[in-house]
Amino acid sequence: MNIEAALAAADAGLDKSLDRLFEICRIPSISTDPSYSPDCRKAADWVVKELKALGFQAEARKTPGQPMVVAHYTPKNAKPNAPRALFYGHYDVQPVDPLNLWNTKPFEPARIKGADGVERLYGRGTADDKGQFMTFVEAARAWIRTHGELPARATFLIEGEEESGSPSLIPFLKANKKELSCDIAFVCDTNMWNEKTPAITTRLRGLVHEEITITGPSIDLHSGMYGGPATNPIKVLARLIANMHDKNGKVTIPGFYVGVPNLSQATRKQWQALKFSEEKFMGGVGLKTPAGEKGKSVLEQIWARPTAEVNGIWGGYTAAGQKTVIPSQAHAKLTFRLVGKQDPEKVLKAFQTWAKKQMPKDAKITFSGHGGGAPASVIPENNVYIKKSAAALKQEWKRDTALLGGGGSIPIVRSFKDILGMDSVLVGFGLNDDAIHSPNEKYNLSSFHGGIRSWVRIMAALAE
Amino acid sequence: LPDSKHLTNREQILSHIDTNLDASLRRLFAFLRIPSVGTDPKHKANCRKAAEWLVNDLKSMGMEANTHETTGQPVVIAKYQPGRVSRHTPHILFYGHYDVQPSEPHKLWKTPPYAPQIRQGPSGRDAIYARGAADDKGQLMTFLEASRAWLKTRKSLPFRLTVLIEGDEEGDTSHLDRFIAANRKLLKSDIAFICDTNLWDAKTPSITTMLRGCISEEVFIHGPRIDLHSGYYGGPAVNPIKSLSRIIAALHDKNGRVTIPGFYDGVKPLSAADRKWLKNVPFNEKAYMRAAGLKHAAGEKGFSILEQNWMRPTCEVNGINGGYTQPGAKTVLPAEASAKFTFRLVEGQDPAAIKRNFHQFVRANLAPDCKASFDSKPETSIGIRVASESPWIEIAKEVLRDEWSKTPVIAGDGASIPVVQSFKTYLGIDSLLVGFGLDDDAVHSPNEKYDVRSFHKGTRTWARMFAAIAERNSK
Repeated sequence: MNIEAALAAADAGLDKSLDRLFEICRIPSISTDPSYSPDCRKAADWVVKELKALGFQAEARKTPGQPMVVAHYTPKNAKPNAPRALFYGHYDVQPVDPLNLWNTKPFEPARIKGADGVERLYGRGTADDKGQFMTFVEAARAWIRTHGELPARATFLIEGEEESGSPSLIPFLKANKKELSCDIAFVCDTNMWNEKTPAITTRLRGLVHEEITITGPSIDLHSGMYGGPATNPIKVLARLIANMHDKNGKVTIPGFYVGVPNLSQATRKQWQALKFSEEKFMGGVGLKTPAGEKGKSVLEQIWARPTAEVNGIWGGYTAAGQKTVIPSQAHAKLTFRLVGKQDPEKVLKAFQTWAKKQMPKDAKITFSGHGGGAPASVIPENNVYIKKSAAALKQEWKRDTALLGGGGSIPIVRSFKDILGMDSVLVGFGLNDDAIHSPNEKYNLSSFHGGIRSWVRIMAALAE
Repeated sequence: LPDSKHLTNREQILSHIDTNLDASLRRLFAFLRIPSVGTDPKHKANCRKAAEWLVNDLKSMGMEANTHETTGQPVVIAKYQPGRVSRHTPHILFYGHYDVQPSEPHKLWKTPPYAPQIRQGPSGRDAIYARGAADDKGQLMTFLEASRAWLKTRKSLPFRLTVLIEGDEEGDTSHLDRFIAANRKLLKSDIAFICDTNLWDAKTPSITTMLRGCISEEVFIHGPRIDLHSGYYGGPAVNPIKSLSRIIAALHDKNGRVTIPGFYDGVKPLSAADRKWLKNVPFNEKAYMRAAGLKHAAGEKGFSILEQNWMRPTCEVNGINGGYTQPGAKTVLPAEASAKFTFRLVEGQDPAAIKRNFHQFVRANLAPDCKASFDSKPETSIGIRVASESPWIEIAKEVLRDEWSKTPVIAGDGASIPVVQSFKTYLGIDSLLVGFGLDDDAVHSPNEKYDVRSFHKGTRTWARMFAAIAERNSK
């Protein structure tokens, strides 16, 4: 196995790789708009054709929505127990409106060198996610061209509904559980830390919703006639919310922090080394002072700490003008972001028990959240695939791989874990300024080229 | 015999009222059908329509009536000059308001708010259901219907009368205040009658001598520049809903006392006489709370409910709003949250100082990175007490006793009637507050009602009042 040969092939074939990327970027596969359904099918067929040409066993599978591309590759010399990796991406793209803000045509991809000397690929989907998934397709090509086959067993899953909430994905995974269950999944839909520093996202916070209603008087009351003696549910709700955190920003609900791990020294040091600018992050949204738990950095607050947030509140008279009412009810919507081994059901129970105890006489609380929720996705940083990928990325980019958290959740990771029982390694080469979902989406040429080379290395590492 | 003559006259008028009740109700219904929501700009034309309806009604009984423009909704002014007057003939100013509270939420109304209907009320008596049935259209019509009955049967009223009916009572009351200040001559009179208060209970009439003042504030708390994704920013980003909640939570201490510095400045402690008077008021705390579905008094510790309601100031939240409030979940950290507050004030408190201190309190309690802005409502009223002994109160006690067969209760009222303050300030006159509403009328709430009995006996009470005035004139 000669990595250098595969890398050289990737370099030599870059222009051809770009031609192919541009070819698929010309297909306006907007999944959210039904009038583009034929284009989505065309994009799926294009991917199938490319993978078949490489020797994959590939087909576009029917779903109630857009087709799902599934392709398998088993090297002739593969040992029967050699690991199989699933590579995930999506061929559908976001809508392109407003068109007048685009400097180039969204479905006529263009390679443009900026005044800063950086070459960028402009067009809808160049980053999200056509450019990204084509990095592993092109890496596979480099291996097959130089070695006649892939160094490891691989399954490619390229879906067409990611931008419209993946309605067919879960039933599809369930129906094809055996076929799709691999030893590890690689999801190529995330960013690098910056243009020089590769990154793997290893933790995503979980989430559970709740909605509460506090009832005081049985009817709305006149605040002149009952102001004073009547229990005001807005006040009760305000106190509940005020009491939910102590003065250090810690959630006061008993049992809330059960399952929350301490951040390891190693991770803390690593995150410190990222030189994350809290000022820039906060300043971007008009804030200065991190409001979360005291003593925790902003990165720790969003990546490694759970939260109790109020997303909405309403009660009493809220239209224009004034109404001197003491309302019968007040409401709030809450979300809890979860980390570590926090259990959504238990967190909800703990909140409900605590909230009931906060009720004064004459106030009643009811809960109407829809339950469910998802725990955090955390891949141990000593996971063998994380380690192998991090090392491979470091070799390519000549920098330590940043192991990041993500404050939000990526549903596919959850589904892979819950349905197929496999962890995901989130490796991507996007940058924060790629303008995905916006006009003038771009992907840096270095992301595309370095991405292909990165996968060449990771694929080799999988075989070891 | 003058006494028997007056008696006969009175009985004749009362019997006229009884036999013409249906016609009186028809007029009230026509009035109730006009959705004259004073605070909602989209009902501006309806407010004018209600004013014009009143002008026609007053003209139809022989009064000279007009609408007058103000800085807010038009006011209705009607004048009546009796044919024969003496130096004893008093000049009465009757006050009411044609504007009504907003009627939302509509889905909680059993019948539409502007399609009046008579059906059995909660206590089994027939009641008129509609927005404004009690507050104040039904109430003010008792006086107008009594006047109509007098004019129909006696062809005259035993007093000079100025009718003033406004359209900004539920909104910005400074409009009427300015109008009164600018029209002292037009409104010059000896006493104001105001029909906007309640009976003590279904059987017991009352005269109100004490009113709380009221000021309103809306507070907006601004946090992040834009709504944020709670995944990406949940934790470090300040949440204005939390900041607002903490401010509301901090407004009262654990004894229910308002914590705004200076809030109680000028509030007189309860005198021994006040305590004694309040103790003798037949008031059932349990029943009062039960009517609201409550059991426990939540106000200031150490004060009875009547004391809390009539003689202690309050700070209330009337509405709160922020973030995502539609069905379903949205993981947003909102950029803004807001709340509406009212403060009920008692005699001696300075509204301007309280507004100032409240703003300071909010700013001092803001979370870092949050800013506050205020919509300070211009309408302001102070707490008021009127003398509880006067010839007018004596007459009122007598006629209320005659009609209701029970001694009226001298009462306080937790709500504000700012016009009492304007009458005192600009016209130098006291107000006599007599009304026929009930605590279960659901004024300001869905399913507002006014008992048919309140309307009928209210009209009869005023007719008796007129008779007592006539009697007094001839003495």
